Amino acid sequence: MTGHDVFLPMPLMVVSSGIMVMLAATTWRRSVERSFVGSMVTLVLALAVMGYHTGRMPDTGSSLFIQDWWAGYTAILTIFSSLCILLMAWRDAGHDRTTLVDEYPLLFMLGTLGALAMVFSANYMSFFLGLEILGISLMGLAAFRHRSFMQGCEAAMKYLILSGVSSAILLFGIGLAYGITGSLRFIPPIAAGDMPAALPVAATVMILVGMFFKLSAVPFHMWLPDVMEGAPVPVAAFLAVVSKIAIFASLVRYFGTGNQPPFFDDILSVVITLTILGGNLLALRQTSLIRLLACSSIAHVGYLLIAFLCPGRLQSGAITIYLLAYTASTLGVFATITAFAIHEGPDGTAIMQWKGLFFSRPFLASAMSLMLLSLAGIPPGIGFFAKFEIVATGVEYPRGLLLCVLMIGSIIGLYYYLNIIRMMMTAPSLPSPRQNRHARPELTVLVIVLSMIVVIGGLLPARAIHSLLPAPAGPPAVQDRMVP
Amino acid sequence: MHALALLAASVTVVGAIMVITRRVAVHAVLYLVVTLLALAAVLVMQGASFAAMLEIIIYAGAIMVLFVFVIMMLNLGQTDSTREKEWLRPRAWLGPGILATIVCAELLYCRRPLSGPAPALAPITAHDVGLSLFGRYVLMVELVSFLLLAGLVSAFYIGRNRMGRH
Repeated sequence: MTGHDVFLPMPLMVVSSGIMVMLAATTWRRSVERSFVGSMVTLVLALAVMGYHTGRMPDTGSSLFIQDWWAGYTAILTIFSSLCILLMAWRDAGHDRTTLVDEYPLLFMLGTLGALAMVFSANYMSFFLGLEILGISLMGLAAFRHRSFMQGCEAAMKYLILSGVSSAILLFGIGLAYGITGSLRFIPPIAAGDMPAALPVAATVMILVGMFFKLSAVPFHMWLPDVMEGAPVPVAAFLAVVSKIAIFASLVRYFGTGNQPPFFDDILSVVITLTILGGNLLALRQTSLIRLLACSSIAHVGYLLIAFLCPGRLQSGAITIYLLAYTASTLGVFATITAFAIHEGPDGTAIMQWKGLFFSRPFLASAMSLMLLSLAGIPPGIGFFAKFEIVATGVEYPRGLLLCVLMIGSIIGLYYYLNIIRMMMTAPSLPSPRQNRHARPELTVLVIVLSMIVVIGGLLPARAIHSLLPAPAGPPAVQDRMVP
Repeated sequence: MHALALLAASVTVVGAIMVITRRVAVHAVLYLVVTLLALAAVLVMQGASFAAMLEIIIYAGAIMVLFVFVIMMLNLGQTDSTREKEWLRPRAWLGPGILATIVCAELLYCRRPLSGPAPALAPITAHDVGLSLFGRYVLMVELVSFLLLAGLVSAFYIGRNRMGRH
């Protein structure tokens, strides 16, 4: 095979060339601002070339990458989230001029590259390499906490060890799958010939466990709150949004959307029940906002998995809109936290610090309330229709028990989301000291854009519900509608 | 053939368990070398002789040298030749030696052509590996280089910061 017919989706190409240009610029003169600008330009370019590719797509089975609506959609979500997170991180790097940290945007870009490789992968190799690139860059990113370096290092260490263990399990499963089928295609193994029937089951379960670890579904969730709390806020957002989108996209790509093997049903039902209840119950007693968000993101993974488990006509649309709703609302909450943080002041990671915010900074408090309501699934936000669609899939493919769990989980969720809003509405006990707020227009714009996505998606959800999933050929959809 | 491969594999497992239970780093390294050699023997018996050679050259050779080097550097300052002698007493060599002898005996036994049908598959040579690495899988090589870059940048950041603070 010669160079001209290597099949490669263009966004991957653009992001990797961007990383190399950034590296070259770093060797010339180190500048944080320039690295940030370079990475954002790269990401915008990658969005612009979405849907193009080099070479010719080879026949199925031998290709390393794939390009279809689902890959395109999740790639757009990934790149858009990275763009938002880079905007949030700008402030982090901006106010600390003593240390040059242009590794910060570089690692974000590497993580995005890994996520993109996973999203586009059609082969175990590209999937696993993407996963590792994402994991290793997240390990470096988690240590980027200026005020408490040791805490960041602790988070990085926890992430490194647990993600290493889960990668090992995943790799073992992939090895078994390769032993069964003799091919590295990214599809579940099926026993052939005189193989014992338990072998494909073992391989599938191991791969599933590895993915659940990274997705932090409940028996394997314990690392997420700790790591997110120890990491800087933008990195926590990266962990909660980009890495989860990438893994979930691969999960759906791997298992497809049709009927699943029989053992699958039981395992997934148990995991979903535990995930929803566990995530919500853990979130109840948190005093740290970041930990609370981590637990709530665990619960949201559970809701998403319900849609994944209910094959039917509605499934595809439900997954599509739920991913969009989760991304927009979670990014919105994190953007608000970043905007709240004041240099030399509270960084907004404890819920107590938000007391009386409606009186001191009404714009921020309203945006936060909107995002939280959307996460809880209350009508003005897009979260309501997303959850509605999930319930609809559960009704179409009868799964009464899981729907009951979803109901209970949502009610518990309502308590802790509304608790934050209540905290913001209580009058501050003492007049707040004059805070030296410096204007950060980029964050204001970001919060406004995300709020618009949440509100417009909530008012006109029909445009966001498309079936983009790979298995049944879906109708062509407007691909770039969520890009402002 | 099957039994031999299983024997080599069990040597690997025993060696790996010994690696993580030793208290002295040098002893663990000795067992690690044996583990890697036994793993290479497993690969040979599966017909992947090229991978086995890579395993020996890269892991048992180059990376082990790095390990020993790092252990030497960490003990800098408190070094003490009597303690080093104590570490490398004959008793420490006994376990790795026995395991290595088992692997060696197996390999010698395998040198005789085994009875049974000739293998249908041609062995994979360096030429084939090179062709598929830089042909079909060239993009994977590029992705691996990005993985190494990510590891390098992360390690550089954490290491530099730690040195700066202390």
